[in-house]
Amino acid sequence: MTDVLTAIDDALDTGVAAHEDPTTRELQELALALQADSPEPTPVYREWLGKQVEAGFPKKRRSKPAWWQRLLHPAAAVGMVAAAVLVIAVVAGGLSSSSDDEAAHGGGVVADAGGGGGAAESGGGGGAADSRAAPEPAGGKAERSAGTEGGASRALADNSIIPIEPPSGRGFAPGRSDRKIERSVALELEMPVDQMARVAEQVTAVTNRNGGFVLSSSVSTGDEDSAGGDFDLRIPAAQLRPALRDLAALADVRTQSQTGRDVTREHVTAKDRLRAARAERRSLLRRLEVAATDEQAEAIRRRLDLVAGEINGLRGQLRDLRLRTDYAVVTVSLLAKHGNGGGAGGGSFDDALGDAGDLLVGVAGVIVRVLAVALPLALLALLGWLAGSVLRRRRRESALA
Amino acid sequence: MNEALVGTVPLPATAPSEGFAELYERTFPRVYAYVASLLRDRSAAEDVTAQAFERAYSKRRSYRPARGSMDAWLFGIARNAALDELRRRKRRAVLEADPEDSAAPAPHDQAELALRREAVRAALATLDGQERDLIALKFAGGLSNVEIARVLRTSESNVGTRLHRTITKLREACHD
Repeated sequence: MTDVLTAIDDALDTGVAAHEDPTTRELQELALALQADSPEPTPVYREWLGKQVEAGFPKKRRSKPAWWQRLLHPAAAVGMVAAAVLVIAVVAGGLSSSSDDEAAHGGGVVADAGGGGGAAESGGGGGAADSRAAPEPAGGKAERSAGTEGGASRALADNSIIPIEPPSGRGFAPGRSDRKIERSVALELEMPVDQMARVAEQVTAVTNRNGGFVLSSSVSTGDEDSAGGDFDLRIPAAQLRPALRDLAALADVRTQSQTGRDVTREHVTAKDRLRAARAERRSLLRRLEVAATDEQAEAIRRRLDLVAGEINGLRGQLRDLRLRTDYAVVTVSLLAKHGNGGGAGGGSFDDALGDAGDLLVGVAGVIVRVLAVALPLALLALLGWLAGSVLRRRRRESALA
Repeated sequence: MNEALVGTVPLPATAPSEGFAELYERTFPRVYAYVASLLRDRSAAEDVTAQAFERAYSKRRSYRPARGSMDAWLFGIARNAALDELRRRKRRAVLEADPEDSAAPAPHDQAELALRREAVRAALATLDGQERDLIALKFAGGLSNVEIARVLRTSESNVGTRLHRTITKLREACHD
């Protein structure tokens, strides 16, 4: 077969059918006949097409395609698919970042003692009655707490987290300094193990600097699993804001929560009862002076002893209330940071390395999301293109079938 | 015209050695012959040939030498245009049965030559569309078996086998 085909090609090249084998020679002649019988273009057509080529096939003015026809153009289709992928990626990234933000910012910060309560302040000991107690709304006292996670460090640094402030409510004058609020704050500070001892020292220093004291503390250093520390601090309420700011600056704040409780009503009640007890004591003393019999005097003394005990109890109660309201309870927990992960900030090389790792993980996450959408679409587009090509070719070939 | 063409028509980006005008001059008669053999309609062949060259001109930058010769690329375009035309006009019946509207034999043609031509044309009419396509690519288009394989997207050996079978069939048809 190869010889025959070669002989045919030779005949077509030379224009001569001269093979030795008669059959092959006959095929050569047939090939020459087919070649010679090929249609030839007319000179007029040849000249016209030559001019067309010379002019670069000038375009005829075509009407502008409708918008839907433009959408059928492959480039437009590819553009639309790409835009869809981009939108999906952006939406996926946005959802991801918003959920991250929600996780980072926790439930927000609410610094409110709430409830409001009557405010009253007596002039202090003695029997001078100073009854400026405001009308007390129902509830009297209330308790609120708020917490932050993650980005609390940044929030504190921005000074956006503030200690619990008096609420503005009915019957309560905002800004009055005579309210009695119990404040408690819990902080979780995260740091590398090798910085834990330094941070522990600075917690004490910050406390002292702000006029507070350390009620109890425990710090253990070692490996990441066992390292940690707890501090129970008392900070003057007036110094709570700067103290919290200083504490938050010591390390990354992992969580932060605050609680406020208005104890003004308890305070006022105790004071009123103390005043009443003192008044009774004065009355009893006057009656003792004029007692006519020993039995009467003895009864008055017994009553005086009871009133004195009540006065002492009320004084202790007021002292305790003052201590609780003048000093905020601040609990600081020191946590070891694992694998340099989490948290932003810090200027060390390890921090930078950690941040870079986090960034890469984030970028990889976005890429994975985009690929998760784009790859199936691309596969479908490829399959569609292949199927379309095969279909088009078969339809064309069907003209020869 | 050659000089003017070479000067005005941009060269294909991937074939700097040959401009489009040169390609046209070199292949035009063969492309026309192939298309006309396939369509068996001179008027349609002229339209399709012009269409094929126009398509090739607009797509000349997409030509990749690695995919085959420029002739094979051009004939692929011409074949697609011809098949589209065939399908569009539903010329299957014409392809299979209608006689070619070829030019009348020249006066100086000898009687024997005219007879042989008629025999060959009659034999061609016995071939199916794909066989006629193959014959047209080979003898009207003047393509090598490698180039035909590129155009038909098949192997060279397959082209050789089919070509041998078809020309043998054609010879037998001529005897009949």
